[in-house]
Parts: sequence; C-alpha cells; structure tokens
Amino acid sequence: MIAILGAKTIGGVSNVGRFARFVWQTMITSARCCARTGTYPLIWTQMNIIGVRSVPVIMITGAFVGMTLAIQAYDQLAGMGLEEHLGVLINISVVKELGPVLAAVMLAGRIGGALTAELGTMNVTEQIDAVRSMGTDPIRYLVVPRVLACLLLTPALIIYADLLGILGGYFISVIQLGINSRAYWNFSASGVELWDVSIGVIKGFFFGAAIAVISCYKGFTCKEGAHGVGQACTEAFVASFISILALNFALGVITKAIYNTFWPLRGLV
Amino acid sequence: MKKDNEKNDTPVGDGDGIIVLKNLTKKFGDNIVLDNISLAIEKGKTTVVIGPSGCGKTVLIKHFIGLLRPSSGEVYFKKRRIDNLPENELNKIRTYYGFLFQAGALFDSLSVAGNIMFPIRQHYKITDWTEVEEIVKAKLAMVGLDGYQHFYPASLSGGQKKRVALARAIALNPEVILYDEPTTGLDPIRADIINELILKLQRELGETTVVVTHDMTSAYKIADRIIMLHNGKIIADGDADHIRNHPHPTVQQFINGQVSEDDLAVLRARGTITQAQFLPRDFKG
Ligand SMILES: Nc1ncnc2c1ncn2[C@@H]1O[C@H](COP(=O)(O)OP(=O)(O)OP(=O)(O)O)[C@@H](O)[C@H]1O
Ligand SMILES: [Mg+2]
Repeated sequence: MIAILGAKTIGGVSNVGRFARFVWQTMITSARCCARTGTYPLIWTQMNIIGVRSVPVIMITGAFVGMTLAIQAYDQLAGMGLEEHLGVLINISVVKELGPVLAAVMLAGRIGGALTAELGTMNVTEQIDAVRSMGTDPIRYLVVPRVLACLLLTPALIIYADLLGILGGYFISVIQLGINSRAYWNFSASGVELWDVSIGVIKGFFFGAAIAVISCYKGFTCKEGAHGVGQACTEAFVASFISILALNFALGVITKAIYNTFWPLRGLV
Repeated sequence: MKKDNEKNDTPVGDGDGIIVLKNLTKKFGDNIVLDNISLAIEKGKTTVVIGPSGCGKTVLIKHFIGLLRPSSGEVYFKKRRIDNLPENELNKIRTYYGFLFQAGALFDSLSVAGNIMFPIRQHYKITDWTEVEEIVKAKLAMVGLDGYQHFYPASLSGGQKKRVALARAIALNPEVILYDEPTTGLDPIRADIINELILKLQRELGETTVVVTHDMTSAYKIADRIIMLHNGKIIADGDADHIRNHPHPTVQQFINGQVSEDDLAVLRARGTITQAQFLPRDFKG
C-alpha cells in the first residue's frame, strides 16, 4: 500500500520534472530560433494550418457568448431600471474574461487535439526518432514552430472573438431588446478601458503558449499504438483546459494588483 | 553548398574501431534485452548482426547512434564517449551517421523528395536547388525509384517505403550507415540490388556499415564479419565461413532455418488447435 503510494508519488514528481525540462528546452530553443531566420517558414506554415481555419469557430464562439450574456443580464438590470448599463456589463465580461477563456478552450480542443494526435502518431511511427537520427533537434524542428505559431495567433483570434462578442451583445441588446443605441455605446465606452482589452489580449499569449506546449509534450510522450494516441489527446485537452482556467485566475490576480498600484483611485470613481 | 557548422573532427585512432561498446547492458523494466555486451565495429568494414526476432538487434544498433541510452556500460564513437552526452552534442555526432529504420519512419507529411531533402536542408545552406534535385534524383535512382519524387509515403508500397528510407539514410554520404533489415519485404531481385548498393557504397566511399538482417543470403554476400545475438549475448562472431561452420547448435539452427525440437513439440502436441465451432450470432441452422 505504502509502496504503491510511494511509487505513484515518485512517478508524479518525475513527470512534473520531465515536463519542466521540456518547457525549459522549448523556451531556450524558441529564443534561439527567433534570432535565426531559418525557422520562420516553418512558423508561417504552422500559422496557416493553425490559425486560418480556426477563425470561423472562434467567431461563432464569441458571438454566442455576447448574445447569451445580453439575454441573461437584461432581466436583472431592467428590474433595477439600469438596462442602459447592459453594454458595460456585456463588453467588459467579453473582452476581459469570457472572450479569451472560451476562445482558448475552443482552441485547446481544435488545435491542441490536432497537435497531440499529429506528434503522437509521429512518435509511435518513429518519425521523431528519425528526426533525431539525422542530427536535428525535434524540439527545434517540430515543437518550436507550433508553439510560436500558437503563441502569436491566439491573441489575434481572441480579438476576433471579442469583436463578434461585442457585435452579438449589441445585436440582442439594441435590436432585439430595444435599448437606446447611443446610451448603450456611451456607457460601454465609459466603462471599458483600453486596459481591459489589453488584458484579454495579453492572456492570449499565455493561453496559446500553454495549449501548444502541453499538447506537444503529450504527443512526444505518448504511449505506443492507436489507443496511446487517443489517450494522449484526451489528457492534453484536460490539462490544457485546467491550465487555462488556472492561468486566467493567476493573471486576474496579477493584473488587478498592477492596476491598483498604478491607478489606485480609479476604483473609487 | 556550404556547410552550416563545419564538423570539428575529433582525432581518429585506427586502433579499436570506430564504434566501441564496453559492457553494455540494456533493460526495459525487468526485461534484460542486452546483457553485458562488449563489441568494436571496425572502420570501413561491413558488420552484419543476425539473431532471432526479438533478441535485441534493433535495440543494439540504436545505442550506436544514441537513440537509446544504456542501462549500464559505455558507448564510444571515434574514441569519444557518447552515451552520456547531452542531446545537442549527440546531434552533432549523428551527422556522421545514416540510419535506416526497420519500419522506414518516413515523414508522412513530406513527399518522397521532401523526405530525402530533409537531412540536406537541415545541415546545409542551399543556394542551388537544382543541385539538390540532382542529388535526390541520383539517390532515388540508386534504389530504383526515380520518378517517384512527388509521391507521398502513404501511397507507396511497403518495399517502396523501405527503399525511400534507404535513399534518405544515404543522402548525406555518411561515414557510418546503420541498416535495420534493408532487404525485408523486398522481392529477391530487388533485395540483391540493395545488397549490391550496400557493397558499392562501402567500397567506393569506404563507409563503415552495420546491417541487421534475417536474410542469410544477404548476410553471406555483404558481410566482412557476422555477429549473432541470442538471449542478450553475442554467441558467434566471425566471418561468413566461421559462422557457416560454427559448432554452436543455436547458430546452426538459425542459419539453416531449422526449428528446434522443443519448438516443434508445441505444434506436434495434440489438441492445441481448439475444436470449438463458433457460429455467427444470427445463424439459423
Ligand atoms: N521501447 C521499448 N520498451 C520496452 N521494451 C522494448 C522497447 N524496445 C524494445 N523492447 C524489447 O526489446 C526486445 C528486443 O527488441 P528489438 O526490437 O531489438 O528486437 P529485434 O531483434 O530487432 O527483433 P526483430 O528482428 O523482430 O526486429 C523485445 O523483447 C522488446 O520487447
Ligand atoms: Mg528489429
């Protein structure tokens, strides 16, 4: 019993260690690759594969988030006679929290799954060993382009999600529920600052990197066979999902602290 | 073509051999695959490794190139210890090698030409693409597949994949080539062409060659030295005649393709083939 517990603990710790080493190597290699133009075409290819085809799903995600928020929040605000403030509520939620997080979750499923399956299959068919056997670092050739592409594209995709979220909210609030358009935008403009939008976009860098690194790691360490690849995909999605939520929380705490340091009185206004 | 980072040659001693294993043991969990093996591969010679399926031939040659690390023991390449090198140092060593994987391990996202160009693109600054295309064409012609440049691995037969993988392994004219079963899955004529190719590369470029095979015709034809692995140990080591006349019964059984009496006993025993008849679910009889 104790032996099993001990073995589990050791297994867990060494897994964390291996993952930390993988992240570290990816970071060093990425930094080196940025300086050399050789990897740019690889990054570009990955951006096309990863980014372009994600735009529609991301836009749909954003639009539904905005519309749902409008429907749900309207009744509460209208009960207090504050329905014209609806814009602030919707837009701030969309750009700061829901847009980035839901877009990232969508990407974890869409991109993360594909990355893990691709690298996992390469692993079980010895293609990763083949890269190594020819004297090429598989992290440089396979992981770095994918991580950098994800890291650069997620913020851009989040902007799309934000945009459609705002439009969706506007559509329901102003066109369906009949709130005065001018008031809606005025309140929104006074409530949502550039800071809020930037936070949402900055989160994107972290989410994108986390999704790609976790998915690539799971692909690299996946067990033999079709079942192994399937299992790695599932684990990659769950791990990405949890780390998105955890990162979101951590970034929320940090950005709030920064905000309060630089603009201590804003909150009181 | 210009070399990205010039190979810094470590001094080559002509003493013990280009690849040296000292007391190498490899375990996977409790499964001891290689048991205290010491071996020196001679420069410029063709060494053939034979042995029954699952005896650890692939595991052995993966140690030569650092794809697997020993559980204990040491691996040397050109007198330099490589089994404890970090991966980025190993990658430099690996540019001296060509490795043919048993299952090919072609990149399925790249075309045949892309696969063969891969090592060239990784290690050379390409200024002249027509030159690269010439190399690809020449290598493919060597394995009888010129004209297949634009095919993808998924649309090739098993034997064709093997030959493309072979062309990729020799793309950089490496000093040492490790072939894992180069002739398995090929028809006899094609297999003999591959044997000739291996001989030609070794003669003309003076390459050090290690071939893992089950194919005794091929082994006798190309080998300067044959090594037989069994139960994690080297049980025979010498030239073709030495192996042909080897007194060890396991060696004789292997090279003559004879089954041992113990193995046959299982098949001869009565009642091992189940008599039960299974009918389909919706069978109405
Ligand atoms: N990655 C691995 N993890 C665990 N065990 C392994 C691994 N690779 C090989 N083995 C074990 O090592 C033993 C030898 O495998 P190896 O692939 O070297 O056989 P082989 O001699 O090349 O056989 P074949 O002629 O069929 O290719 C097998 O028993 C196998 O179970
Ligand atoms: Mg093998």
